[in-house]
Amino acid sequence: LHEVAFLLWKESWELGKNPMASRGSPLHGPRIKLIEKAQSLFSETKEHNFESKAAEEHAKLLRMQHELEVTTKQAIFVDSSISDTIRTCIVLGYNQAASKVQKEFKVSEKRWYWLKVFALATIRNWEALEKF
Amino acid sequence: MAQIPNLDNSPLNLKSIREQSQRELLNILKNIRGKKCLVIDPKLGGSLSLVIQTSLLKEHGVELWHLSAESIQTECTKVVYLVHARHSLMRIICSHISSDITKGLVREYYVYFVPRRTVSCEKVLEQEKVHHLVTIGEYPLYMVPLEEDVLSFELDLSAKECEVDGDTTSLWHIAKAIHKLEFSFGVIPHVRAKGKASVRVADILNRMQTEEAVNSSDMGLPEINTLILLDREVDMVTPMCSQLTYEGLLDEFLRINNGAVELEASIMGLQQEGKKIKVPLNSSDKLFKETRDLNFEVVVQVLRQKATSMKQDYTEMTTTYHAFGEIIMLLTCQRLGLVKTTKYEKYGANLVYYCRCFEYIEELIHKQEPLAKILRLLILFSVTNSGLPKKHFDYLRQRELLHSYGFEHLETLINLEKSGLLKKQESKSNWLTIKRALQLVIEDTDTANPNDISYVFSGYAPLSIRLVQHAVRSGWRPMEEILKLLPGPHSETKRSGFSSSPSSDTLQVASTTIDKDADGRRSLVLVVFIGGVTFAEISAIRYLSAQEGMAYDLIIGTTKMVNGHSLVETYMGNLV
Repeated sequence: LHEVAFLLWKESWELGKNPMASRGSPLHGPRIKLIEKAQSLFSETKEHNFESKAAEEHAKLLRMQHELEVTTKQAIFVDSSISDTIRTCIVLGYNQAASKVQKEFKVSEKRWYWLKVFALATIRNWEALEKF
Repeated sequence: MAQIPNLDNSPLNLKSIREQSQRELLNILKNIRGKKCLVIDPKLGGSLSLVIQTSLLKEHGVELWHLSAESIQTECTKVVYLVHARHSLMRIICSHISSDITKGLVREYYVYFVPRRTVSCEKVLEQEKVHHLVTIGEYPLYMVPLEEDVLSFELDLSAKECEVDGDTTSLWHIAKAIHKLEFSFGVIPHVRAKGKASVRVADILNRMQTEEAVNSSDMGLPEINTLILLDREVDMVTPMCSQLTYEGLLDEFLRINNGAVELEASIMGLQQEGKKIKVPLNSSDKLFKETRDLNFEVVVQVLRQKATSMKQDYTEMTTTYHAFGEIIMLLTCQRLGLVKTTKYEKYGANLVYYCRCFEYIEELIHKQEPLAKILRLLILFSVTNSGLPKKHFDYLRQRELLHSYGFEHLETLINLEKSGLLKKQESKSNWLTIKRALQLVIEDTDTANPNDISYVFSGYAPLSIRLVQHAVRSGWRPMEEILKLLPGPHSETKRSGFSSSPSSDTLQVASTTIDKDADGRRSLVLVVFIGGVTFAEISAIRYLSAQEGMAYDLIIGTTKMVNGHSLVETYMGNLV
C-alpha cells in the first residue's frame, strides 16, 4: 500500500517537471490532488506517519506557493523548500507573507533568525538587519 | 602523463587483464567492417579511458560519440552503441533509430552491453519494435585496473541497489569478476567474507566454480592466496569521516574520477578561461606516488620542499605541464587545508567523544549547507549510536531537513532509512565495545612517522582496515565475538581446484607458514570491498602491505572508488 502511495508521490513530481505544468497554473490542481491521494494512502498504515505528514505539508506548501505566485506575479516559488520560500519572501520585501509561512509550518525561532539574517544580508538591507 | 596507469610493477599481472579488455573491444570493432560510429554511454566513458586510448580507437576507423538524447549526426552507416544495461538508455537508442527511420536513413545498428545483456533491456527494444533492426552483443568488461594494486569493478550503484531496491545483480557481477581473475591466476584457496553481500558473493563464486571449474592443475600454484570480502555496510563509519591523506583530500575537494581530476585551465597556467582540463593522478607520476598516501599535515611540507627544488630544476626548461600542476595543487590544498583544519579537528574530536554534534548539525542545516555534507554527519552519528534518539530523529527529518531542503528529499530519507543508515534508536549501541576491542581511536598519533594505520585519519584507524589486518593475520576465528557485533554474517571457507587436496590443514596455514612463491615473491591477498572503498582506506592498506613482517602483498578490488559524498549521493533521489 505504501509503495503505491510512494509511486503516486513520484508521479506528482513527474508532473511538476513537465514544463507545461510549472507554467500553467491549472495543472497545479492535479498535482496537489496526487499528493493528497498519496497522503491518505500513507496515513492508512501507522508506520508511515512520517511520510503522510510530509505529504500533507507538501500539499499545503504548494498551495501557499501558488498563492504567492499569483500575488507577486513571479513564478519563482513553486518547488522551492519552505526555508527558501521564506527567504525569497523577505528578499522581495513581503515580510507578512514570510511570517505567515513561518507560522503555518511552525518554523523554529532559530531557523527563522538564520533565514532572516541571510535574506537581509543578500539584499544589503543593513538598516533592517541593525534593527532586528 | 597518460591517464592509463602504468602497471609494470604490479604484484599481479594486471596488465594482461587490461590488454585482454583492449583486445576484446578492438575485436568487436574489427568485426564490423568499414567506418563506424561508436556511441558510448557517458557513464562508461571514464572506465574506457582507463582501458584504451582514444587515438587507438580512431586508428580503427571509429568516430566517437557520447550517448545523449540528441540524435547522431554522422556520415557512417554503421552505428555501434556501447552501453550499460539500463532501460533509460534503451529508450534513447530507440528514439535515435526511429528518428533515423522518419528521416529515411538506413543504417546498421549494433548494441553491445557492458558487461552483459539483460532480458529486460531487450524487451524494451522489442516493445519499441526496433529489436529486429539491432544486432546485439556483449562486451565483457568486468573490471578495470585503476592502479598497480587497485581493481575497480565499475559498479557505481551496487550498495544502493542491494539495500534499497533489493536488486542483487551487482553481486553476480562481482563474483563473475573474481571468477575471471581465477581463470588467469588460479583458484583462490582461502575465502573470508563479512557482511550479507559478501557471504552471498562467496556462495555465488563457489557455485561458479562447480558449474564452470577453473582447471588449476595446468596452472601451478594459485597466485592469490586469500580473498577477503567486506561489505561497505559493515563499516559505514569510515567513509563518512573526512579523509586526511593527500589523495583522499584531493578526492574530497576536487573529486577524483577514474584516476583523474578536473581543474580549471587557469590553475594549470593555461590561458583558457573557464575551461576545465583533466589531470591524471596515478602512480606513474613519481611525485604523486610518493605523496599520495601521506597524511596531509606532512604532505604540505614535503610538497613545498619538492616545489622549491623543482623550480630550480625547471627554470631552464619549459616547465612541464604536470609538475606545474602539482605545485599549484599544493597551493590549493594548503589553502583548503588551513581553512578547514580547525573544523576537521572538531570532527575528529566529535568522533572520539561519541558524536555529541547534534547542535552542530542543526546549525549546519539552518545555514543550508550542502545536504550531502549534513547527511554524512548524520549517518556517522546514526551508525555509531545505532540510530538517532527518537525525539531528534523526528525533529530533524520532519522539521528541519524537509523544510530546509524541500520535500523532494523525502525519497532520500526513505532510502537511507531502508538501508539502515539513518534510523531511530532502538537498541543500545555497541560502538564503544567495538571501538575499544579493535583499538579504533588512537590518541597522539604521529602523522609524520606513522606506526599504525590510524595516521590516515589523524587518530582514527578505519574499522574496515582493522578487520582486514586481523583477517590477514589470524583469520576470523579469534575475533568471532567482535564480528558478531557488526552487521551481517561472516564466513570462512577453504576452496580448492585440486579435488584431492587435504582439508585438514585449513585455517591456520595462513597465519603460521609464510608461503612464498617459487621465485621468492610474497603471496597475495585480494581484499574486495563491496559497495566501494575510499582512498584513505587504500592508503592504510598500502601501509599494512609495506610493513616489515607482513607476509603478503595486498591488492584491492572495489565496486567503485567512493567518498562520503558520492556514497550519500547514490541514495539521493533524482526527482528534480
